[in-house]
Amino acid sequence: MSQFEKHFNSGVQRLEDLRKKSLDVGRNRLLVASAVFFMGFLAVGIRLVDLTIFSGERDLRFINELESDSGQVARANILDRNGIVLATNLPTASLYVDPAMVMDAKDAAEKLVTVFPNMDETVIERKMTGKGRFVWLKRNLSPDQQYRVNRLGIPGLRFQREEKRVQPHGRLAAHVIGLTDIDGYGISGIERYYDRNLKSGQSTIRLSLDIRIQDILHKELTSGISAFRAIGAAGLVMDVRNGEVIAMVSLPDFDPNNDRKVHTNAAFNRVAKGVYEMGSTFKLFTVAMALDSGVTTMKSNYDASSPIKISRFTINDFHAQNRWLSLPEIILYSSNIGAAKIALDAGGAVQREYLSRFGLLNPTSIELPEIGRPLKPSSWRDINIMTIAYGHGLAVTPMQLAGGISGLVNNGIKVTPTLIKKAPGAQIKGERVVTSETSQKIRQLMRLVVAKGTGRKAEAPGYFVGGKTGTAQKQFGGKYVKKANLSSFVGVFPIHEPRYLVLVILDEPQGNKATYGYSTGGWVSAPIVKRVVQVAAPILGLAPSISGDVITLPTIEIQKVDKNKRKEVIQKISARSVMKKGDIKSRNLKGNSENRVEEVTENTRKLYKKGSLKALSSSAYSEDTLINIIARRSLEAMGRSAITY
Amino acid sequence: MIQSSDNALNQPDLNFRTKFFGINWAFVFIVCAIASIGFALLFSASNGDLEPWARPQMVRFSVGLIGMLTIAMVDIRLWLRNAYLIYFITLVLLLAVEFAGFVGMGAQRWIDLGYISFQPSEIMKIALVIALARYFHATSIDDLGKLHLTFVPLLIIAIPSILILRQPDLGTTLMIGVAGVLILFLAGVRIWIFNLIGVCVLLAAPVGWQFLHEYQKTRILTFLKPETDPLGAGYHIIQSKIALGSGGFSGKGFMQGPQSHLHFLPEMQTDFIFTLLAEEFGFIGGIGLIALYCLLLVIGVIISLRARSQFARLLAGGVTITFFLYVFINIAMVMGLVPVVGVPLPLISYGGTAMMTLLFGFGLLLGVNVHRDVVIPRLGDT
Repeated sequence: MSQFEKHFNSGVQRLEDLRKKSLDVGRNRLLVASAVFFMGFLAVGIRLVDLTIFSGERDLRFINELESDSGQVARANILDRNGIVLATNLPTASLYVDPAMVMDAKDAAEKLVTVFPNMDETVIERKMTGKGRFVWLKRNLSPDQQYRVNRLGIPGLRFQREEKRVQPHGRLAAHVIGLTDIDGYGISGIERYYDRNLKSGQSTIRLSLDIRIQDILHKELTSGISAFRAIGAAGLVMDVRNGEVIAMVSLPDFDPNNDRKVHTNAAFNRVAKGVYEMGSTFKLFTVAMALDSGVTTMKSNYDASSPIKISRFTINDFHAQNRWLSLPEIILYSSNIGAAKIALDAGGAVQREYLSRFGLLNPTSIELPEIGRPLKPSSWRDINIMTIAYGHGLAVTPMQLAGGISGLVNNGIKVTPTLIKKAPGAQIKGERVVTSETSQKIRQLMRLVVAKGTGRKAEAPGYFVGGKTGTAQKQFGGKYVKKANLSSFVGVFPIHEPRYLVLVILDEPQGNKATYGYSTGGWVSAPIVKRVVQVAAPILGLAPSISGDVITLPTIEIQKVDKNKRKEVIQKISARSVMKKGDIKSRNLKGNSENRVEEVTENTRKLYKKGSLKALSSSAYSEDTLINIIARRSLEAMGRSAITY
Repeated sequence: MIQSSDNALNQPDLNFRTKFFGINWAFVFIVCAIASIGFALLFSASNGDLEPWARPQMVRFSVGLIGMLTIAMVDIRLWLRNAYLIYFITLVLLLAVEFAGFVGMGAQRWIDLGYISFQPSEIMKIALVIALARYFHATSIDDLGKLHLTFVPLLIIAIPSILILRQPDLGTTLMIGVAGVLILFLAGVRIWIFNLIGVCVLLAAPVGWQFLHEYQKTRILTFLKPETDPLGAGYHIIQSKIALGSGGFSGKGFMQGPQSHLHFLPEMQTDFIFTLLAEEFGFIGGIGLIALYCLLLVIGVIISLRARSQFARLLAGGVTITFFLYVFINIAMVMGLVPVVGVPLPLISYGGTAMMTLLFGFGLLLGVNVHRDVVIPRLGDT
């Protein structure tokens, strides 16, 4: 082998070695790279398992957060007693701006004004250039507005899904249902009262309202307002047996869906919040209290021949008869003088006790945040006793009036008024306020008013409406104004078996040709009650009856009274003298109030029989009545509760 | 002896028949299978219509497939001889984009030749592999420890990277950079040099950050914390994660993917098409596709291992790496493992240049297999 060959071979050998080495390194490295590939695919594979199989939910968490950000829990619906939706939610979009994303605020504001002509361009521009990442521009857009804003293509504008509260029946039950603010919180009415329940979204609220009856009442009150140019009206239909409010209307009202700012006057719920001197409808309370406590009978007579003058006041009758009137006549002709005298016989303590029972001295409890507090006289003197007897000097809400009357007619059982539907067959808790005999008599008197008295225009044939008119003069700055009346009528039907109470009040009605200029309750409000009864009764499931009157009207007996013997009993009875003569001492009175009243009454009777109270006797009172009156006045003088059950 | 040795180096050309049967047909079959999945997904993406995506994609693939088979039978020494030429032409095209390209979807990466437009940056991915393979083929393994010899290949990588970054196209830049460095690794460059490069890159990173476009910065930041901007830059990732999650084990069924069909995912026919697959075919579909890709990679690695010349080995290895990066970056991006960078899912995403480039690369890979026994002298002049 030559040197060259040797050299060559060693060169080839070296070349081969190099190639081998290169090959080895290359292969090793490639295997390392393959391992990297493998790791990469392993990672991707594991991630794929993680994403597709195990954590679908976890990655959806993010979208859930977005959703919970943008939409509240749906507020629960409010339904009427038949399941008709009164308030529900409408999904809408609200527009906000993220100022950090806005490129040209001026240009954007110019464009936005084309969609919202009512908005101020400079205000929009200021909002768009402010700090922060979230500024509301416009809440609750219509779909068309949203579409147009989207078309503008302005960066930084975003939509938040929201829910707008809507009342499909508009203004019909606006006062009862109330309003929510832009963030969905209840601010008035049921929306406010049940805000927590509604917000939780769990339970719908079923009201006792019947939207059909609500509509009827609303329509009739509206036409009443326009016919008599009244400044407002209040109306109520109520089930006297369980206290369910079937309809409640206050006018003027508002459109809960569209009115941007509700005027205070329109937002005011006259039925529950407004307190008024109700006028003659109160005479029913006066008579009921007097009958119930025994200080009068259906046959009692009162001298209404001349106005009562007491200090600087004079009490007149509107339908003055200028003669002695029997008790039914006092209601029939709505005699203020008579009512005043009856109340005086009963005395202040009895009056306060009964008014309190009728729920007229304390705010009603009803499911509304707007509850009016009654305005009571600061002192309860004779003048107060007398004016309250015919509905002046004590201001209550229409709701209170209706509650009291319903107690009188419902066999003497007063049920708490409610706006929530009672389950059928639910136990109705009631409180006895007068005896069922008194209730029967009051119903007879109410029927008398509609059959023959001031409330004849409320007669809805076949439905046996009973009722009482009320015309109160409104006070302005402590003075009563003749021309400004609050004219009301409270009707109950069917009066022999009372089911529903209808109360209608017109505020400052002006008489028209049809009423010969009269604006009293009997002329303006009674016809409205009649129409409501006629339309609503069939819907409420009451068919008109063709039979004759089902309730006996009270007989009216006018006792001929010897002019010379006329004496004002009330002036004669001095409580102290009774006490003295009857040897009644407060320390001697023991036991409960029932025994006490009986004890005092018995003592009084003994005195009367002995003849020592002869001077007090009057042809206007029967013996029993007189003894009752004397006994109760005596008790009152001793500062003891004068009535009992 | 010398003569015979020469003869051993200069082997006669293989005939057509030998070459044709030398092609790895299993590889070709898998490529066709993956492409078919792509057609189905594009069909679904357009709500059951061949237009506008499925049909053009099929045409392109058919053309590309023929191209691939043709290239597979071209003697790989041709590529060796013209390696730098190809590289420079592509570089010139990249420069042309810089000055004459048009902007497509926010980035200037396209050249319009009238009836077709293409992205030179895609071609560069393969051109770079060829150039690097050529360079290291001519370098002795003993010289790879010398730092100055590493300077040239780094330049080969750096020049196109910078040009592409300027387009701006972060995804392709990263792919070219990583692929280039990996080829260096395969070629046998000493490990300490890589450590040095690593340190340099780390030091340069804050400077490089300054040169990134705002949207690229946002993307990287968004990747780190996508929830900060759910409706902005994080939208893609979140929506695609939701789509993947909603697919579950077996998916919602063909053409039933709500996320994709309701267009929660914009441009889903391109980079995010994997979500469509996972949504409609679930885990099974996703893992099936990944398995097919894996098979291709395994074949690629085997071809590379069996190649006798350094050029052939690096060529096959480089193409395989590029392919791996395509697949890995795309799928990892869709799953939120890496930032959203514009990398298509190979053979499936709608788009011509990427598919053509890849099929060209596969052609080279198959060519390496066909010519695996061809011995090429180091200096390459055969």
